[in-house]
Amino acid sequence: MTASTIDNRDDLISYLHAAMALEHATIPPYLTAYYSIRSGTNSDAAHIIRVVAVEEMLHLTLAANVLNAIGGTPDLTLPGFVPTYPAYLPDGEDDFTVDLRPFSPEAVETFCRIERPGEAPGAGSRLVRTADRARPVLVSSPTVEGMRFYSIGEFYEEIIEGLEKVAADDPGLFCGDPTLQVGPEYFYSGGGTVTTVRDLDSARRALRAIAAQGEGLDSGVHDADGELAHYYRFRQLQLGRYYQVGDRPDSPSGPPLGVSWDDVYRLKVSARLSDYPAGSELARAARGFNADYGAFLALLTKAFNGRPGLLQDAVWYMFRLRDGFNRLVRNPLPGSGGLNAAPTFEVPTAVDSGPHAPRTVGGTPRAVTR
Amino acid sequence: MTDQSFEEFLHLSVDLTAFEETELLGTGLAHQYLAKVRAACGGEVVSALLDAHRAARADAADGVGGHDPAVLDRALRHRIFSDDRLGPVARNVIKLWYAGMWYGLPPEWTDCYGARTAAETATVTAASYQEGLLWPAIGANPPGAKAPGYGSWAQPPRIDDRYLRGGAK
Repeated sequence: MTASTIDNRDDLISYLHAAMALEHATIPPYLTAYYSIRSGTNSDAAHIIRVVAVEEMLHLTLAANVLNAIGGTPDLTLPGFVPTYPAYLPDGEDDFTVDLRPFSPEAVETFCRIERPGEAPGAGSRLVRTADRARPVLVSSPTVEGMRFYSIGEFYEEIIEGLEKVAADDPGLFCGDPTLQVGPEYFYSGGGTVTTVRDLDSARRALRAIAAQGEGLDSGVHDADGELAHYYRFRQLQLGRYYQVGDRPDSPSGPPLGVSWDDVYRLKVSARLSDYPAGSELARAARGFNADYGAFLALLTKAFNGRPGLLQDAVWYMFRLRDGFNRLVRNPLPGSGGLNAAPTFEVPTAVDSGPHAPRTVGGTPRAVTR
Repeated sequence: MTDQSFEEFLHLSVDLTAFEETELLGTGLAHQYLAKVRAACGGEVVSALLDAHRAARADAADGVGGHDPAVLDRALRHRIFSDDRLGPVARNVIKLWYAGMWYGLPPEWTDCYGARTAAETATVTAASYQEGLLWPAIGANPPGAKAPGYGSWAQPPRIDDRYLRGGAK
């Protein structure tokens, strides 16, 4: 058994910041694949990707609730919160990265790797040494330099054990302001029920819900509620068939599922602003998307810091992001050999950042004054 | 359909609609719209329209890659909108982008210039209603599509500065 990497509240806070960054980091790759699908086609695949992306948004909110419950301060505007793609994954392998890809067999393979339920062969190998490299890593230990987790499930297991250990020594661990919790009255129709966190039991429930829905340690195809884990949702796209309850992992027996890999905008993989022609209209649109995305993360930060009602505004922010996403992916990217543009998620350092900054509406277009 | 005439159709559409190329391509319908104009009026009319537009831009060229907007405005009116054959087609291209529909040209036009198919009013694709430029022009979503999110209607419409009175060009 490896010694725990979590000794106190500060360690837990670091881990939960990392958990929020991790949950968020999966969303741009899913959205890129989702919006690359031409409208009216690939409805099975689009539905599967959308369900998973929405559940990641729930996971982000659950992680924020746990962080708030122990007196931390969620901040989605911190530099590095949004990774630079391609980013490495924490599943014990050093040979692949997470890219922003159009819907394709490669994208689905990456999604399966992100979500693979990878219980370490022995608890001793939960933490593995990171290879020496410059690329960003989605999940590394925030408290032990140079170490990262064998899988995302292991990462959450480490946090749960850390919470248990620190709570046993410190009865005041759950000292967070209860009004900062985001409850089901603010987060709904979003991939499951949000758990408010006020003690060890509810914290465990919140984190286990993340593990069970996605990348968790459960090796079953369906969880206790009969819901299909993310890994198996994506496997359906590879195997061309839906799972039914009772199926074994490699032989789904449900109805066949159609995938049309060609009905997709061929996007530049992990596009960067530097791929856009300097000074072009299209570069301006890509920067505008990034600015809107930054404003959206600032809005979520405020929602997680005492203004949960702002999550209602987050809905129309997301719809605007959808329209901006669609606009970019339909534009050819000059000089890319026939590929299309895509959001780069290079979020500018916001003037309006931090949980206590005043609220503004981002983006270039100006509101009409009446 | 050559790449060059597609590019020219885009440039024409930018001048006719006052929307940027990125927005026009962002509808995903530019190719279908050019094909629709061709199918309705015939390739010869489309070529003449693109030629007239190229000439109008040449009239207004400022020699450093841009053009004088006032001169371009006059040249478009002179070479295209006041032309009996090209004027109605150009107006229809505007309506096509804004409403996603090809509005049938009147018998006066088809009697003179043939192309009976130009007289038929038709929606181009199921997507063209949703992608009509009239919606972003007024900062609203097409009713029944592109849901804007609960409560979004409490916010003022977002319209680019350059379309607002007194806004930057």
